[in-house]
Amino acid sequence: MTDGDYDYLIKLLALGDSGVGKTTFLYRYTDNKFNPKFITTVGIDFREKRVVYTASNANGTTTGKTFKVHLQLWDTAGQERFRSLTTAFFRDAMGFLLMFDLTSQQSFLNVRNWMSQLQANAYCENPDIVLVGNKADLADQREVQEKQAKELADKYGIPYFETSAATGVEVDKAVITLLDLVMKRMEQCVDKPPADTASGNGATKLGDAQPNEKKCAC
Amino acid sequence: CCSEMDLSLLQALERERILEVLRRDKQLRIIEEDRIRRMKCELQELRRRGAKNSARQYGERTCARCQRPLRKLWNSGAVCRGCSHRICSKCRVGVGTVGWKCTVCHAYRDVKIRSGDWFLEEKAKKFTAKTDKHETVGETLLKTYNVLSHISVVPPTPPPHLDYQFLNRSGDLKHSKPLNKSVENLMVSFTSHIRSKLSQNASSHELKCEHVNTDRPSLPNLFKKSKDSDQEGSSTGAEEETSFSSEYSGGWRGSTSSISTDCGLFESTSVTGELELRLAYNTKTSCLEITVGACRNLSYGDTKKRKCQPYIKLYVLPEKSGKMKTSVKKNTTDPVYNEVLKVKRQRFLPTRLQATVWHTGTLKRKVFLGEVLIPLDGWRFEDMDSQRFNWYPLCPKVKQKDSGLESTMSAYLILGFTHKFDQRSMVLVSV
Ligand SMILES: Nc1nc2c(ncn2[C@@H]2O[C@H](COP(=O)(O)OP(=O)(O)OP(=O)(O)O)[C@@H](O)[C@H]2O)c(=O)[nH]1
Ligand SMILES: [Mg+2]
Ligand SMILES: [Zn+2]
Ligand SMILES: [Zn+2]
Repeated sequence: MTDGDYDYLIKLLALGDSGVGKTTFLYRYTDNKFNPKFITTVGIDFREKRVVYTASNANGTTTGKTFKVHLQLWDTAGQERFRSLTTAFFRDAMGFLLMFDLTSQQSFLNVRNWMSQLQANAYCENPDIVLVGNKADLADQREVQEKQAKELADKYGIPYFETSAATGVEVDKAVITLLDLVMKRMEQCVDKPPADTASGNGATKLGDAQPNEKKCAC
Repeated sequence: CCSEMDLSLLQALERERILEVLRRDKQLRIIEEDRIRRMKCELQELRRRGAKNSARQYGERTCARCQRPLRKLWNSGAVCRGCSHRICSKCRVGVGTVGWKCTVCHAYRDVKIRSGDWFLEEKAKKFTAKTDKHETVGETLLKTYNVLSHISVVPPTPPPHLDYQFLNRSGDLKHSKPLNKSVENLMVSFTSHIRSKLSQNASSHELKCEHVNTDRPSLPNLFKKSKDSDQEGSSTGAEEETSFSSEYSGGWRGSTSSISTDCGLFESTSVTGELELRLAYNTKTSCLEITVGACRNLSYGDTKKRKCQPYIKLYVLPEKSGKMKTSVKKNTTDPVYNEVLKVKRQRFLPTRLQATVWHTGTLKRKVFLGEVLIPLDGWRFEDMDSQRFNWYPLCPKVKQKDSGLESTMSAYLILGFTHKFDQRSMVLVSV
């Protein structure tokens, strides 16, 4: 039973082709279990997890402040026939786990399409995204090389992780990295100077002296 | 024929699966809404505290937060970047590299992050069409389905403000084919409706939703107004209140008056304490049974005599038809009721429960002691957890003179309601 005893509700969403392992990945993250059966997701679903987040400064040092974060992790169906439903849910998520299957070149090629879907449907033009190459444990079946994927991620300016829902490797790290990006984004969004600050009164004298804050790009 | 049957069965199951997910999501949102409301109540309280002690002398400069006098030379205060008020050195909080803000501005910033308002604002920037920015896609879908399944049982009697277009449509519907379209088709048409709705800019829809914009003014807007007002020392929170009301009242005053006809004439004290309620749905009698357990830590209705004779009034919105009251308890700020109030199944799906606490004074004078609003659509009555008694913190009244934050609650109720019908007619077009 969830209660309201948390500091932030953060909504993340996993997307990518059918069968890349979105559901299995999230199940590993929330329950630390692996399900080898493939039960394709119908439309949408979500899982929840309560985590403790330790705030860090820009330079990476922790501030010691901790927060209770309630994560709502939306799981979308990769199947084409649910597309209009799933993409409609993109707009209510604060960050995205864009997943492909390291053993399927096709799922990797489709990453571009998913990116443009995100651009069109997410809450802003450049939302926080983490690229995830899943099924890293199936080394002998690998079709996508790390270098390839890394290059694409760099092109988009997003982090890249190779994970395995089967072994659990890098799963937590991928999610926490995304959470961290979203937490930083929140701060930037509220601290950026309002675009239409009226000038000419006493208040701006102080404001002018301030160095311009890093602007939230969204 | 058999394969066809299977297919429709599968789709019905698929639909159930998705609705189940949406209901779970709704549960989470109920908790979240409650959390946000408590957060904003606290914030308002903080602001009010600054305003309350405004026994200020004219001409004297005081800190807008703690009202301590400011000198000419030392401790002269400085202007807060957020609200442009003069603030003493004690009432400042440093925020990262951005410099300091006054305690209230800092709390606003904090609430904006923790409530997710930052996200709503960003989203509204991209999807500029005037839709209800609070509503998630899941919520919209769930409402649609609640409405659809409801229609198939009882043909609704449209409320007076409903347009004729809809009337005709609902009339047609009763005699037309049953709603057996596959969920996917519905969802597809529905989501495309969401889209077209979002992309369309000029339409009748705007008219209906224009209140939504004033509904919850964004935080920077709140401050913009106060910046215009006198930002030298004499300005305190009290002036903020009035300027807010002049800015935002226009949008929702009409709505509020229709919802709380009796909220014009009452006195009010500070709001403290909590109210204990339990909600259950009796399937046999089709009644929503609301058990009023108790209150604790109420403020005195009569502060001078330190007296309190409290009772609770309940409304189920949107209809506000069955107004119910508990008995009046004598001389207590911790009354125990354990009274069950029953609401008959209504024509419309109940959207919210409004419980207000009142003190009965002499000569039928009543004093408002606080209120609780509980969202009902999506409430899972079969769920044991939601059938337990729960303590709800009492909140200040939606008052016309109040700032945007809380006062918008009841405007929101009405809006949620019209919005729903709006969607219904929208979906009916597509069926
Ligand atoms: N070996 C291995 N198998 C995995 C891994 N992740 C997922 N799988 C398997 O891949 C299959 C598909 O996984 P799902 O999680 O159901 O895929 P999905 O992305 O949710 O698919 P849709 O719901 O159709 O969009 C399942 O049989 C999983 O057990 C992994 O890291 N390693
Ligand atoms: Mg899945
Ligand atoms: Zn002060
Ligand atoms: Zn301030």
